[in-house]
Amino acid sequence: MTTPILEVRDLHVRVEDKDILKGVNLVLPPGEVHAIMGRNGSGKSTLSYVLAGKEDYEITGGDILLDGESILEMEPDERAAAGLFLAFQYPVEVPGVATMTFLKAAINAQRKARGEAEVTTPEFMRLVKDAGSRLNIDSAMLKRPLNVGFSGGEKKRAEILQMELLQPKLCVMDETDSGLDIDALQVVANGVNSMRSSERSMLVITHYQRLLNHIVPDVVHVFSDGKVVESGDKSLALELEAKGYAAYEKDVA
Amino acid sequence: MRQTMPVRLSTAEETLIEQLKSLGNEAEAERISVAGLPTRRVESYHYTDLKTLLKAMPPLAAPANEASAPALRVPGAYQLMIANGAVQSAGTAPAGVIVETSEGTSLSTRDDVLVHLNGAMAKQSLNLTLEGTVDCPLQIDRRIEGAAAHSASSARVFVADNAKATIIETCSGSKAAHVGNHASYVSLGKNATLTHITVDLSAEEATHFSTTEYELAEGSKLRSLVIHAGADLARSQVFARFAGEGAHADFTGLNMVDDGQHRDITLDVHHAVPNTTSKETFKQIARGRSKAVFQGRIVVARDAQKVDGKMMMQGLMLSDEAQILSKPELEIYADDVVCGHGSTCGHIDEVSMFYLMSRGIPKAEAQVMLVRGFLEELIEPIEGDELREALNGVIEGWLQGGIQ
Repeated sequence: MTTPILEVRDLHVRVEDKDILKGVNLVLPPGEVHAIMGRNGSGKSTLSYVLAGKEDYEITGGDILLDGESILEMEPDERAAAGLFLAFQYPVEVPGVATMTFLKAAINAQRKARGEAEVTTPEFMRLVKDAGSRLNIDSAMLKRPLNVGFSGGEKKRAEILQMELLQPKLCVMDETDSGLDIDALQVVANGVNSMRSSERSMLVITHYQRLLNHIVPDVVHVFSDGKVVESGDKSLALELEAKGYAAYEKDVA
Repeated sequence: MRQTMPVRLSTAEETLIEQLKSLGNEAEAERISVAGLPTRRVESYHYTDLKTLLKAMPPLAAPANEASAPALRVPGAYQLMIANGAVQSAGTAPAGVIVETSEGTSLSTRDDVLVHLNGAMAKQSLNLTLEGTVDCPLQIDRRIEGAAAHSASSARVFVADNAKATIIETCSGSKAAHVGNHASYVSLGKNATLTHITVDLSAEEATHFSTTEYELAEGSKLRSLVIHAGADLARSQVFARFAGEGAHADFTGLNMVDDGQHRDITLDVHHAVPNTTSKETFKQIARGRSKAVFQGRIVVARDAQKVDGKMMMQGLMLSDEAQILSKPELEIYADDVVCGHGSTCGHIDEVSMFYLMSRGIPKAEAQVMLVRGFLEELIEPIEGDELREALNGVIEGWLQGGIQ
C-alpha cells in the first residue's frame, strides 16, 4: 500500500481548556484532493493551524503523519521544509519586508533545510515571473512589503504564488475562496488546478460549495463539532449545500 | 526657603573635579562640587541618573599613539579622524570640502552638564565647510585609543547656501572603559541639504556621551539619524533650532540596547520661526535586562505659526526584563500649528512569526527579518547604496549578537 501524504489519527486538540478537535481521522493518498466542509466554529481552521504547527494549541491525543512520519514535534519551518504548505485564510501583513526578499528567503530556507543548493538570482527571477504571469501578479506588487496594502484578491493570489514557488507535497488551503470575486476565484482555482499531480495532495477547507465547482475534489468530508461526521464523493458537497449542515449535526447527536 | 545641603560626591565626581581643576577650569569644578552630576531629580536626566550610572572616571586622555582597526568604514567616503580629541591630518579633501581646525569646542553655551564638560575639555575642533554638491560621503571617525581615558572631541560643520552633503560620524576605539564626550555643531545655510548620521560603536565597557546642535536656515533640509550600537552607558543629545522659514528636518534614531546596558537618546527641537516642519521617528529595541530611554521635545515659539511636527516612538522588547521608556513632550506657544506625538511598545508579533516560519524560514532568521522590517523606515530614506549597506551591517551585527 502506498504511504498516504497526510494521515491524521484520532486527533484531539484543546485551546484554553476547551476541546476543539475531538478525534479527527483523515487519510489523503498521493494525488488526491480532499475537501473539508463545515460551518463556522466547527474547528476547520484549528485543524489547518494545528497541521502547520501554530503554537497555543494543546494536542491531547492522536497523531499527524506527513509521508508516514509524525510531525507533532516539528516546528512550523521544519514542517514546511518537509513539504507542508498552508494557504492562510487571512494572509499576514509584514511591513518593511519586501515580497521578493521574503519569497527568496523562503525558497532558500527550505532548500537549505533539505541540503539543496540555494536558488540563483536569474533562476529565482524566472520562477517568479512565470508563476506571477499565470496569477496576474506583476513585479510592482512583488516590490511592495509582504501583503501590506494588498487587496483581498491580491493576498490570496500571493498565497498561491508562494505555493507554486515552494512546490509542497501537501497543500492545505484554509478558506481560500473567502474575499474573492468570481474572476479572482477563477484565477486562484486555475493556479491550484495546475498544481494537481500524482505526487501531491491537497486539503481544501471551505465553507461554501462554490469553490468546489472550480477545484473538484476526489473526496468531501463534512466537519462538525471537531470531527469528520460524513465522507463521500463530490456529490456530498451539493447535497450539503441543499440540506444544510444541520442535517449532519443531528446524526451526531 | 530652600535649604542647601552639601552634596555627597561620588569617586567619579571627585576625580572629575580634580580633572577640571587641572585644566584650569575652576568654574566648572565649582559647579560639580556644589551640585554634583545630575540625578533623577533633574528633569532632563530623570531616566538617566548620571550620578548613579557613572561609576568611575578614567584619567584625562593623553595623545593617541596607535589607532585600532576602524569599527566601521564606509566605502568611497572621505575619511577624517579625531583621535583622543586631536584632529589627525587627512589626505586631499574632495571638491567643495574645506577642512580646518580651531581651538576649543564648537558647542554653544547651553546649560547642560555634558555641554559644559565638553566646553571645559575639548582642546580642538575639526571645522568643515561644505560648498556645492559634495559627491562622496564624509566620514568623521572619532576614536578614543589606548588605556581607559576621559576624552572630549569636537567638530563644526557649515553647509553653505544651496550645498548638499552627507556626513557619517562614528565613535569607536580601543576596548577599555573610556568616557567619551563628543560634540558637533552643524549649521545648514539657505536651501542647504544635509544627511547627518551618528553611529556609536564604542567598546562594550565604555561610556558614550554626544551632543549635536543643529541650526537650520531658510529652506534647508536635514535628515538626522542617531544609532546607538555600542557602550555600556550612552546618551546622545540632539538639540535643533529652526531659524529660517521653509526649513524641514527628519530627526530619526535607533536605540539598540543589550543586557546590562543603559542608552538614552534625548531630542529637543525648537521651531523658532513660522512655516517650518519636522518629523521625528525613533525606534528602540531592548533585550536582556536593559534600559532604553527616549526623550523628545518639540517647542513651537509664540509667533511660529503653521509649524507641522510629528513625533513617533516605537519600542520593541525582545525580553521580558527589558525596559523601554519614552517621554514625548510638546510645548506649543503658537495657536495655528499641527503637532502630534505617539508612542508604542510591544513584542515581536507572534502571528507574523508563525506566518514566516510556516513558509520554511527558521525562527532566528524570521526574527531578524521582522526586526529589519521594523527598522526599514529609518534606513530606507538614506541615499547611497554603500552607506545603507554599512548601516544595515551595524544593525545586523547587533542582531546576530543575541538571537534567542
